Amino acid sequence: MGEHITCQEVVELVTDYLERALPSDEATLFEQHLNFCDGCVVYVEQMRSTVVNVGRVREEDVPPEAKDRLMAAFREWRRT
Amino acid sequence: MIAYKFLRADGSSVFTSFDWPLPASGPGAWVEAPADPCRSGIHACRVADLPYWAGRTLYEIELGGELIEQPTKLIGTRGRLVRRVAAWDEQRDAYTRMCADRAHELVGAAPPEFSHWDSVVEPSIPEGPALLGFVAARIAEEIAGSADAYHAERKRQAGWLAKRLGLSIVA
Repeated sequence: MGEHITCQEVVELVTDYLERALPSDEATLFEQHLNFCDGCVVYVEQMRSTVVNVGRVREEDVPPEAKDRLMAAFREWRRT
Repeated sequence: MIAYKFLRADGSSVFTSFDWPLPASGPGAWVEAPADPCRSGIHACRVADLPYWAGRTLYEIELGGELIEQPTKLIGTRGRLVRRVAAWDEQRDAYTRMCADRAHELVGAAPPEFSHWDSVVEPSIPEGPALLGFVAARIAEEIAGSADAYHAERKRQAGWLAKRLGLSIVA
């Protein structure tokens, strides 16, 4: 990690940031980036909202057909 | 100790949306939280840190309790806003312009291969002082090929802010 981070690195680090798992120095650079990059602020807020909403969904709430499609998509994603 | 804190226009915290008790006829109420950098605590700036966190409104904040010092910020366990730094409201656009002019100056004095950086400066101005400060510092870093130049430019920006806002750089 250098003196600042890029938008691409924000994308890579966002999950750890939201889970407060980033080391302090990286979280500082992350927030300094958010301080001037409105696009990344929107992205992080969308991710935060997604985490909150998806977190409410229990595994048994997912219909079997949707679960099959998701699993197929994940298997395909792992191959590519 | 006295430090500084940027807030949104409505007085809320930029990263947590916490609504700070604002100073009125006197300081705002004390706020307390365990100090854990980037997770919990009262985060604030020394004057030298201001360029890294430039925002919409600036307040003087009194920090108390345990204090953690990091390279670009302070974290205390207690804090209260003492006063709004009104000079920032008056100087914010001038600071943005100063950073833009400095970015042009740096590119103008650099070898031709850096000339493409000049085109990002003016379109960035509507985004405000935080971005322009970053752009100038990044251009300095790219031209020098060293992170030292990035921080030197930040230090230069802090000196400008200290002078224009009437703050002491050692605060």
